[in-house]
Amino acid sequence: MALREQWAETAMGVVVLALAAGFLTYSLSVGGVGVKSGNYEISAKFGEAGSLAPGASVTVAGVKVGTVSQVTLEPKTYLAVAKLSMDPNVKLPTDSTAKITSDGLLGGAHIAIAPGGSLEDLKPGGEIDNTQGAVDIFGLIGSVIRPQGGDDDDKAAAPAATNPATQPAESY
Amino acid sequence: MTAQAARKAAPNPIRALGRSTLAAISTVGGVGVFAVRGVAAALSPPWFFGQLWRQIVAIGFFSLPVVGLTAVFTGAALALNIFTGGGRFNAEQVMPQIVALGITRELGPVLAALMLAGRVSAAIAAEIGAMRATEQIDAMRTLSTDPFRYLVGPRLLAGVLMLPILTAVADTIGVAGGWLVATRVLDFSPTVYIRNTISFLESWDIISGLIKAGVFGFIVTLMGCYHGYNASGGARGVGRATTHAVVSSAILIFASDYLLTTFFTHAAK
Amino acid sequence: MTQTPKLAWKGVTKRFGGRAVLDGLDLSVAPGKSLVIIGGSGQGKSVTIKTALGLLRPEAGEIELDGKNIVGLSEGARRKLFSRIGVLFQGAALFDSLTIWENVAFRLLNADGVSRKVAKDRAIEALEQVRLAPSVADRYPSELSGGMQKRAGLARAVVAQPEILFFDEPTTGLDPITAAAINELISNQVRRLGSTAVSITHDLASAQTIGDEIAMLHDGKIIWRGPAAELHTTDNPYVRQFVEGRAEGPISHAV
Repeated sequence: MALREQWAETAMGVVVLALAAGFLTYSLSVGGVGVKSGNYEISAKFGEAGSLAPGASVTVAGVKVGTVSQVTLEPKTYLAVAKLSMDPNVKLPTDSTAKITSDGLLGGAHIAIAPGGSLEDLKPGGEIDNTQGAVDIFGLIGSVIRPQGGDDDDKAAAPAATNPATQPAESY
Repeated sequence: MTAQAARKAAPNPIRALGRSTLAAISTVGGVGVFAVRGVAAALSPPWFFGQLWRQIVAIGFFSLPVVGLTAVFTGAALALNIFTGGGRFNAEQVMPQIVALGITRELGPVLAALMLAGRVSAAIAAEIGAMRATEQIDAMRTLSTDPFRYLVGPRLLAGVLMLPILTAVADTIGVAGGWLVATRVLDFSPTVYIRNTISFLESWDIISGLIKAGVFGFIVTLMGCYHGYNASGGARGVGRATTHAVVSSAILIFASDYLLTTFFTHAAK
Repeated sequence: MTQTPKLAWKGVTKRFGGRAVLDGLDLSVAPGKSLVIIGGSGQGKSVTIKTALGLLRPEAGEIELDGKNIVGLSEGARRKLFSRIGVLFQGAALFDSLTIWENVAFRLLNADGVSRKVAKDRAIEALEQVRLAPSVADRYPSELSGGMQKRAGLARAVVAQPEILFFDEPTTGLDPITAAAINELISNQVRRLGSTAVSITHDLASAQTIGDEIAMLHDGKIIWRGPAAELHTTDNPYVRQFVEGRAEGPISHAV
């Protein structure tokens, strides 16, 4: 009954559904969810993955050429293995270097690849041997501010509370 | 004032406090019992599929225009605001991701639920309240039909089923609203905006929002049914039931939104 | 009278906020008889019917149907019991979202699982019994006059041929001619089905047309009971005041 009587609302409902469906289809077609099939996959091992997560971009000279599809731990070596899904138009030499960097203090981690000079290209399923893991920026900053070493850092992080006896009462 | 009179007057505030506390407890208990009966009616036969279909159309389909409209404008405004805010620390480019996150996790479900609180909760309270006032609910019982199964169950089911679907539509249209502003006004590339959004969003962002929506759908329809079913006092009572349904739905939506978000944030870790 | 009454109230008490609306009510109807309860507004007439229907639960006393207590029955047993009962509510209480025939056939469709086609045929038959044309079947209650709504309500009450019929103020809000027509339909239907009937009204003409017996309710108790014909000859002062419509008398102003 209701569908026929309230034709204006019915029409609006159909329009809203159509718009949503249209935008969704458009998004999925340009968003690369379905296009990813042409990509090839390579891997890279890092001693420290930092905040690298699936979905992070892979860049060459600052241009995005792929995404991180998976980050797992290799149990034997305790290395982080990142699977990279690469744009098929970009061929990388076998001696390229992969480096985890971040866009700044607030930016997320991504992988920057510096192409090497080898004549041979990485095959799908290949591995980048030259890698540089994530740098602990806060650790770096800490070591610059207090060059004495990490022991001092701990105390600075929790003054007085952890062991008041060892702290001089200078602040009082 | 004599001491005796003072002693007589003194217990009053405490009694009033006690009385209002008891009233609050009995209301919570009443809603709880009502909810349990409603869920039991919704999940056990006999089912009235005709009624369920009617409610799915009324609650789900006819809420599409208002939910879509709310979502597109909110998405657009959100995009502008986040662009401005992001610009203060040179992070304008993450706007699509923040818009998508804000809409899928929070604004999609909450706004769709609030629209339903205004549209559906009020309508249910008014309809069932009027049925109560004109003895239609009593009449239904004398016709060997349980009003909980015929009236309450289908509405609760339709709310729980349809609000997640409406939220999915609101998510899509909200992102589209942000995308429209970004590409028309802020010179974002249409495809980059979409790609950033899609590669950034995790399935949990969307699913947690849809779970929230299911809970909100239950709240909105439950409040409408409860206040309508317990309406008394003729037309004024129906009016009061409508107001209470909308206000209590809105409050419960916000409260449960916070609780669910807290729960999800801990569960995700 | 040794016969078990069809329906009996035994010492039924019902309170609202401390005030006893029914105060140890004793009343019974023999099978196949039509009892009319009269009384002023607010004297507990509606409450009497609602306790019998299980819509209100009395604080004390028993209500017996065929000699068996029906107070506090489970939902399921109550639902089964309702299949033997038909009720015409004061405002007809038709469901406004359903068509007239769906209203009339509501029990058949939703409780008895009768197919829509059969249910519609039976609904149209019942509508004919109350002299409503089949063309009314597909209209909605809001499109009908008050008298037609009452007729449709009556059709809904009798469609499943109940053993007991309840009529709550069947003529309230109708003009005298329509009221007379409704009264006649009610007594026809009760006679046709051979049902026991309990009606409440403050319309004396209605009471005498549809009732075999009349009982007067005052302050939660039955204060007079007799054959319908004796209503005008009794010397009970309460009944006299009610029948003659005087403001002064043993019944004080409720207003």
